[in-house]
Amino acid sequence: MSELRPILLVEDSPRDLELTLAALEKCQLANDIVVARDGEEALDYLYLRGPFAGRAEGDPTVVLLDLKLPKIDGLEVLQKVKGDPALRHVPVVMLTSSREEQDLVRSYELGVNAFVVKPVQFSEFFKAIQDLGVFWALLNEPPPRYRLR
Amino acid sequence: MTDARDDTADLDLCAREPIHIPGAIQPYGVLLVIDPGTLRVVQASANAAEKLGAPLEAGTSLPAALPALAEALSGDAALEAGADQQRIEAAGRHWQMTLHRSGAHLVAEFEAPPAAEDETMDRLFPRLRRFTETLTDDGDLARLTGHLARHVRALTGHDRALVYRFDAEWNGEVIAEDGNGRLPSYLGLRFPAGDIPAQARRLYRLSRLRMIPDIDYRPVPIMPAIDPPVDLSLATLRSVSPVHLEYMRNMGTAASMSVSILVAGELWGLVACHSARPHAVSLNIRNACDFAVQAAAARIEARERSAGDALRLRLGEVLGRLLGRMAAASDWRRGLVEAGPELLAQVGASGAAIVAEGSYHAVGDAPEEAGVRAIVAWLEARGEGDLYATPALATLLPEAASFAAVASGLLAIRISELHPSWLLWFRPEVVRTVSWGGDPHKTVAEHGRIHPRASFAAWQEQVRLTALPWRPAEITAAQDLRAAIVGIVLRKAEELAALTQELQRSNKELEAFSYSVSHDLRAPFRHIVGYSQLLRERAPELDEKCRHYLDSIADAALSAGRLVDDLLAFSQLGRTHVASTDVDMNKLVAEVKHTLAFTLEQRAIDWRIDPLPPAWGDPNLLRQVWLNLVENAVKYTRPRNPARIEVTGWVEGDETCYRVRDNGVGFDMAYVDKLFGVFQRLQRAEDFEGTGIGLALARRILDRHHGRITAQGRLDEGAEFMFALPRNPTRKPTGKPTKP
Repeated sequence: MSELRPILLVEDSPRDLELTLAALEKCQLANDIVVARDGEEALDYLYLRGPFAGRAEGDPTVVLLDLKLPKIDGLEVLQKVKGDPALRHVPVVMLTSSREEQDLVRSYELGVNAFVVKPVQFSEFFKAIQDLGVFWALLNEPPPRYRLR
Repeated sequence: MTDARDDTADLDLCAREPIHIPGAIQPYGVLLVIDPGTLRVVQASANAAEKLGAPLEAGTSLPAALPALAEALSGDAALEAGADQQRIEAAGRHWQMTLHRSGAHLVAEFEAPPAAEDETMDRLFPRLRRFTETLTDDGDLARLTGHLARHVRALTGHDRALVYRFDAEWNGEVIAEDGNGRLPSYLGLRFPAGDIPAQARRLYRLSRLRMIPDIDYRPVPIMPAIDPPVDLSLATLRSVSPVHLEYMRNMGTAASMSVSILVAGELWGLVACHSARPHAVSLNIRNACDFAVQAAAARIEARERSAGDALRLRLGEVLGRLLGRMAAASDWRRGLVEAGPELLAQVGASGAAIVAEGSYHAVGDAPEEAGVRAIVAWLEARGEGDLYATPALATLLPEAASFAAVASGLLAIRISELHPSWLLWFRPEVVRTVSWGGDPHKTVAEHGRIHPRASFAAWQEQVRLTALPWRPAEITAAQDLRAAIVGIVLRKAEELAALTQELQRSNKELEAFSYSVSHDLRAPFRHIVGYSQLLRERAPELDEKCRHYLDSIADAALSAGRLVDDLLAFSQLGRTHVASTDVDMNKLVAEVKHTLAFTLEQRAIDWRIDPLPPAWGDPNLLRQVWLNLVENAVKYTRPRNPARIEVTGWVEGDETCYRVRDNGVGFDMAYVDKLFGVFQRLQRAEDFEGTGIGLALARRILDRHHGRITAQGRLDEGAEFMFALPRNPTRKPTGKPTKP
């Protein structure tokens, strides 16, 4: 069995990070969770540079990307990923507090795979995160080389 | 008229007759046209050689022919003078020479000096002084002009002296008279403008005095005729028009003299003297008359000016008060209308109207709105400028005759350069009886020729469709008000533009604020909920009380978070674009049911969802409507087992209708109006959670779709909500109404 590819979680808010990690933990996924705290770190990870220059090869199974991020914001990261033929296949799920329409429209224009407004109700939040995690980590068909089952 | 003389002229000739270049003079003097550079004669009246005793045909050198004249002309003062009078000796006698310039030439006129001793300036001066002294006390126009008529006749010895005043249309009215009874009285009579045609009035302004001692004079030609002819406007001896002589003859006068009354440089009136028999007046007496008339004119001017000043002052005060009212009112038109009496006083009107495209205000006696709008349309069609005034509107606009009683006089100012927007003042018809000196309409005789009328007997005419004329100070006041209004309108427009800019700015701020709230205010509530739930799971040893506290914290944060969501959704709706398309309502209801699945888990609900017709609207917004209605139905049926929720839809006329019915707790129809208000709740919060925004949001969404929503309820029995949407306007209605 080939190694599981990690989930990249890009989140600047420590509380959201902690809660999201708690939710993912409950899914009991075997995948590693890699955390990036801003857009720059996320791109460093994806492009194997900076602190991630020596990491193991391979793209994450899914990127959970917060919209509002320091330095390089979520939309810019999304644009970069979906504009790069080498990364375009990596699923990106936008996580956000926003219900502002322009964010949503812009994300879809840039080719986001899913857009999740973080629900206030924690049980709903858990469910959403779990669904996402399970869906992208287990159900989503990766390229043939990484086929899981 | 049976005058057989050949020199009668027809109307066209009369109007075109170049009376300032007649080519002849009257025989009571001699005229020479002289080249001042060479001192040679250019033209001479045919009687010159005989009267002055020297050969004076064209080309004659004056120093050789008439040394005295050449010497008089060589003085600088004489040449510089516009008009000058000197004594010249010629042919063994004295002559009074009057000299003036005409273009490049000098015109010299010679008259024999008076025979009478008392006509010397020495004798005349004390009489003039007495006259001017009496004038200073006279403020009253009738007394002043009466005095003038008497004095002038006393000087000249004519049978009758008239003081004649022009109105705005150049009709003349005899306002004062003095006579010895040999000629009929014309006092109070009017003479039409045509009696003194425009070119004659021009001459009367340039040259103040003219005399015809004998209408049966034989004109003396000026030789030779030259081209271009010399302008003799200022020549006293100038021969007069044959039409004028016929006019005098018809009037029964053989001699005349008139002096112009110039007030503020304009022809105000005339002093006209007539005699039944030929009558000449010496140059000295004529000079004295001119002096007396100009002294009187100065008094008239001062009097008119002070009257005008007083009126302007009064109107200025009125304008000040009007401006105050306009500036204080939010709408300047309203300010003007509320200051009605002052608005009318501003120009001495009895009615006024303020007309713009979308508005109409009237004050006092004004025509009906349709009439006023007809006047405005007429003004616009004429392409009138900023101000228009007439005392007789119906003579120009025939349909105005129907409201002539209130609006014969019209004074109009344009308020806006961009729109047909006017302020109109009205004056009522004043029916007046005017006495004419003869019937002024009877001027056209047989064979289409025109003759001066033969009868000057008083002829009465009723003047209708005419108001009192607008005075210059009143027209000025209207102009002042216009300037003020335009200023105020401009300022208000600038204020409005500034306000719009301010609104746009604050709207942008509000959007930024909403955005920030949606991100930053939501997150803490989510964290509170999340951490309290995590804590609850991690500490199973907590007692009942502690768990209750934790649940309460989570519930409070949860409802605060939902409140933020709902408020944002509600406020966004105003600026959200409604993107209408055909919407599959069956799909929307299925989605909503799916969204609520979590809530539905432990509920026994008997659903009945009929096939729904498609709607025309914004799917995201309509989904919100369904969510609120279905969520409410689920929520308020919680005490029921089983709960029944029924969703139906049908097409009715131009609308598609949808209904959600439940068997829940219902509501009292007494409160149905409160149902759709923001933060209005009919249930206690502890019984049924919610923010009180859901139905307000639904109604706002339907408003944005030009649809409607209604509610029916019975306490403890259930509720039903029906909403209707206009059908796709681009598509023809198909199918039959399917109302269940």
